[in-house]
Amino acid sequence: MSDKYTRREVLGHAARGAALVGLVGTAGVLALKANKTYAWQIDVEKCVNSKVGAWGVEVCELCATDCVLTLSAVRAVNEFSDCGRCYICPAYYKITSAVGPDGLPSEKVCPRDAIKREAIGWVDPDDPANNFYEYIIDEKKCNGCGRCIMECKEPAGLSSIKLEVRHNVCLDCNRCSIAQACPEEAYDRREPSAT
Amino acid sequence: MEYRPAIRFGGKGTDASQFRETLRGIAIDEADRIYVVGDSKVKVFDAQGELLRRWKTGDEGHSIAVDVDGNVWVGQWQQVEVFDADGRPVETLADPDRLGLITAIAVSKDGVLLADASARWIRRYDREGNFLNNIGEQHRKGGFHIPNGIVDFDVDAQGIVHVANPGMHRVEQYKADGEYLGYWGKFDGQDPAGFPGCCNPTNLTLDAEGHVIVTEKATPRVKVYSPEGELLTVVADEGFDPQAKNLDLAVDSKGNIYVVDTVTLEVQVFVPVTKGATA
Repeated sequence: MSDKYTRREVLGHAARGAALVGLVGTAGVLALKANKTYAWQIDVEKCVNSKVGAWGVEVCELCATDCVLTLSAVRAVNEFSDCGRCYICPAYYKITSAVGPDGLPSEKVCPRDAIKREAIGWVDPDDPANNFYEYIIDEKKCNGCGRCIMECKEPAGLSSIKLEVRHNVCLDCNRCSIAQACPEEAYDRREPSAT
Repeated sequence: MEYRPAIRFGGKGTDASQFRETLRGIAIDEADRIYVVGDSKVKVFDAQGELLRRWKTGDEGHSIAVDVDGNVWVGQWQQVEVFDADGRPVETLADPDRLGLITAIAVSKDGVLLADASARWIRRYDREGNFLNNIGEQHRKGGFHIPNGIVDFDVDAQGIVHVANPGMHRVEQYKADGEYLGYWGKFDGQDPAGFPGCCNPTNLTLDAEGHVIVTEKATPRVKVYSPEGELLTVVADEGFDPQAKNLDLAVDSKGNIYVVDTVTLEVQVFVPVTKGATA
């Protein structure tokens, strides 16, 4: 112990230093959150609508109904590289509905008509089945109800449609109401790179 | 025409007669022995489901066929391994520049037909392994529509090739040289005579009378059609794992239908019910 500091002064410096480290750490965590290093996301392997092995069960619509926003921040997203581009897509058509005069199912899956079906290339009017079709989700209409995800899932489809949180819309609430409601604990805060 | 479920064999497990992870293809020889491929193994069963023998394949098998000489053909990635009836390697037909994933095989004196799911059509070779022609490549979109990832077909007594084209909800007919003859089938999610969902039928085989026996996915179902495409009967629409798809099938000389469940890894057998017979 030098003559310069008393024992009381040394202990005081140590306590202030520890408090400073704690403050910096807390500020760092807050800064990380502010910078969206962590964000609300959906684990597609837990979400009942996309979880493989749970095909044919009741659709969970909590992402659509429990978000504090009028139109949920959750949207259906079709990964085109995984899509089968089917003539009759089970996520687009209600495949158990009666067949219309055009040979196609008469009803659609999406209650908000948020999926657009477009032929890829020229369609032979005498054989429209001999073509591939693209299914595009209109995010201005989609509310993330998950019905198309359930129908697109293996084995009925190829699981190309998934639910995602749109971070430009999400309010990033500390206590997200969807996360509170999700029975599968599929909705949590993670690093974006973790998905 | 009516069928009833009979026995099941195989299943998921570690016993010699079971499968650990995969069960993909099935074929039956002229003596009604059943050959199945899964877990990179060929397993041979008698008609009662008793394991007769088994052997490993060089690569993972995705399809299987038995020729009139008793040789066993196993379709793999870019090649076909041929074994004798006891599992000794005979030859390997490899064509890596042309072949992709082989999901169905037919062997006759006129040649070897290989369903190439990567190209989405059927490759025809002579018995010496020389490439002859493709079947299905004239489709405007460059092959069969197979969101399920497999092409399946069978060849009738006249040499006509019957192919499942699930994305178009059809069974198509071709000559061996690739000439398109026609199709039957249509989408229908309510009438069992039609093919439901995005893409059915997934698999097919022919019996001795030329009936076309198909399997479907979501929900798994087995149906028999006349050669002209008239639905004759629904063999089974329950009893399979609902998640199962691409259920390969084969028919023995008695008309019994053998179907693989790709999830439970069982082989299910359905036998024709004779009119007037008691159960």
